[in-house]
Amino acid sequence: MYAYTEFDRQFVRARAAQFRDQLDRHLAGSLPDDDFRALRLQNGWYVQRHAPMLRVAVPYGVLNAAQLHQLAAIARQHDRGYGHFTTRQNLQYNWIPLTQAADVMDKLADVDMHGIQTSGNCIRNITADALAGVAADEIVDSRPYAEVMRQWSTLHPEFAFLPRKFKIAVSGALEDRAAIAWHDVGLQLKKNAAGDVGFQVLVGGGMGRTPITGTEIRAFLPWNQILCYLEAIVRVYNRYGRRDNAYKARIKILVKAEGQKYFDAVEAEFQRILQEDVGAGLQLIPQAEFDRIAASFARPAGVVPAAATAAPAAGAPLAQDGTSLAFTRWLQRNVHAHQVPGYKAVTLSLKRAGLPPGDATADQMDAAAALSERFSLGELRVSHDQNLVLPWVKAAELPALFEAARAGGFATPNIGLLTDMINCPGGDFCALANARSIPVAAAITERFADLDEVYDIGDIDLHISGCINSCGHHHSGHIGILGVDKDGSEWYQVSLGGSDGSTLSGASVPGKVIGPSFAAEEVPDVIEAIIDVYRAQRLSGERFIDTVRRLGLAAFKAAADAQRHITGQTAAA
Amino acid sequence: MKFIDTHHDQWQTAGGEDGPQPHPPVRAHTLLTLEQWHAVRDTWPADVPAGVIVANTVDIETLASDLPRLGLLVLQFPKWVDGRAYTQARLLRARYRFAGEVRATGDVLVDMVPLLQRTGFDAVQLRHDQKQAAAERALGFFSGHYQGDVPQPKPAFARDVAAELAAKRQADAEQFAGQGI
Repeated sequence: MYAYTEFDRQFVRARAAQFRDQLDRHLAGSLPDDDFRALRLQNGWYVQRHAPMLRVAVPYGVLNAAQLHQLAAIARQHDRGYGHFTTRQNLQYNWIPLTQAADVMDKLADVDMHGIQTSGNCIRNITADALAGVAADEIVDSRPYAEVMRQWSTLHPEFAFLPRKFKIAVSGALEDRAAIAWHDVGLQLKKNAAGDVGFQVLVGGGMGRTPITGTEIRAFLPWNQILCYLEAIVRVYNRYGRRDNAYKARIKILVKAEGQKYFDAVEAEFQRILQEDVGAGLQLIPQAEFDRIAASFARPAGVVPAAATAAPAAGAPLAQDGTSLAFTRWLQRNVHAHQVPGYKAVTLSLKRAGLPPGDATADQMDAAAALSERFSLGELRVSHDQNLVLPWVKAAELPALFEAARAGGFATPNIGLLTDMINCPGGDFCALANARSIPVAAAITERFADLDEVYDIGDIDLHISGCINSCGHHHSGHIGILGVDKDGSEWYQVSLGGSDGSTLSGASVPGKVIGPSFAAEEVPDVIEAIIDVYRAQRLSGERFIDTVRRLGLAAFKAAADAQRHITGQTAAA
Repeated sequence: MKFIDTHHDQWQTAGGEDGPQPHPPVRAHTLLTLEQWHAVRDTWPADVPAGVIVANTVDIETLASDLPRLGLLVLQFPKWVDGRAYTQARLLRARYRFAGEVRATGDVLVDMVPLLQRTGFDAVQLRHDQKQAAAERALGFFSGHYQGDVPQPKPAFARDVAAELAAKRQADAEQFAGQGI
């Protein structure tokens, strides 16, 4: 991972000191709520239902064991002993008293961490492929580029108060594991025929009330121009993005309203930056600087390609009896191809009965950190779908890792399956939410507790958001569930056919709502009815998303409507 | 950074009983609205300093040809979280090489001052309840930043950030010298 220099370290300490000064003034009464809000947000501090929430940045999802141990210690000492990994690869705490906020920032700074720009109307923490640097299908390692952009966007003085939040995601692999088209800016690293590296640049994607996927503004931008190009994109947005209505303030609305005019304005601005501005060209990334950063991401010394060390044969009997099916399934779902022969990337599932999706207790954080120290050179990743990944596992050690992960509760072999659902914290914690999402996720997890059944259903993306802000990415789920508030009670809208842009899911597209919202109690029945239609109607080998596309919504809608034990009566009355 | 006290400011607006005078008289250090400036710019003498108040919705490009004649541009923050004037200031300095004063007014908080300084403002009229001492403290936290800005166009990767850090530590140490700390 990126090795902090003394400058980087002092920078984070300075930010913590600056925040302490602001917090002190706030607590002393000289910095009122209205003024403090935007300052604390840009350090990751929300005020939600019960207590402040802190969102800690995990830049492009890369984490080391020492950091995760520290996150566990903070959970224990300042929170109620747990945290929540988010779809943007960050970690959230829910119960830290504001009076302890500055101390927590100091403790984060001790391990090169912070909450800079994890909230607020600024350029947010940049997300990336959780398998960057290890993926078998990688074209270009996105991490050094993400780090260059992290540095550029950090405390950018011109872009700290944009019309609305601004999210950048980058992928460098054939498979899009970062849902880039759903971001304000989506970047796909490519190589041209000459082998030069560049970015395909998408702009104007986003979820929320108006789900739109990004549009290509550049097919191939030379890599070293990316900072100037981003500056042009964000500057035009800062000048012309709407500020009269928060729901129409994202860049997607500007891009949609202006179309080609916006693209032309960005290109013109880009040219002027390069040709006219003081220091023109200074932000073109020199090869030496790229090399300095990329050196941090060189393959770790301990990684030695093994000559085709075969993974233990699936189904081979293990020392421990009765585990072979579980182990086979785990190999199939949680273990991923690696670019180094003899190595695998392994997902530690944070989707298991009894805990909200993406949650980890302090003990589990320590356990995951210990697993990374034993099996993955002390490195972990946070994935976009709210799991942890060990990127450097020797194939020969998979059986030992399986046993250890199972003991830690991380070995649920459900990655990509129904119970590997994406879920926001919802109304249990979040002040923005219209409805709770955790109980819905729990009810569905309970309903589909039979792993055989979950395997039979196969690949499916179930995404749950507690409100239209879409933190649970309901728009991109094959099945999306959205919490809505009607007359002060909780209802759930169900949509089908959404895609995050992965090969399996097809081109990024928002799902379609299948009718009026359902009561909370009906949701598990509705999901089951939808799944039953799929299982009855699927062709041999056909995945859920493909059946939905082939059949259309009507059959699913009819089956879902048949579950209206509560909403049906209301409608009839 | 210059902190403006409106009671001791050489720049004065040209207001009348019914709002800004449509055609203000020529007087040194007159601070004009954009409409007033448009009314007088063809006749305003080159050697009489004038300043203009610019709304944050104005395209700075439209002022380009006037800039050499202006001594002050006052940019506005109607709400402190509306960041358009940062872009205006940056363009004034980095693209149009405007050398006069660029001043921030409106809902200006002490915590904005580092951003103002970095985007090219050199004067600030803080909101009435803000303390200048807090603003000055706000300027002292960082030894340098990653990206280039107006006072320092070079990004961190083009600078000797280790030397900057050492200089900052030296300055901080001197600040406390003799205080018994």
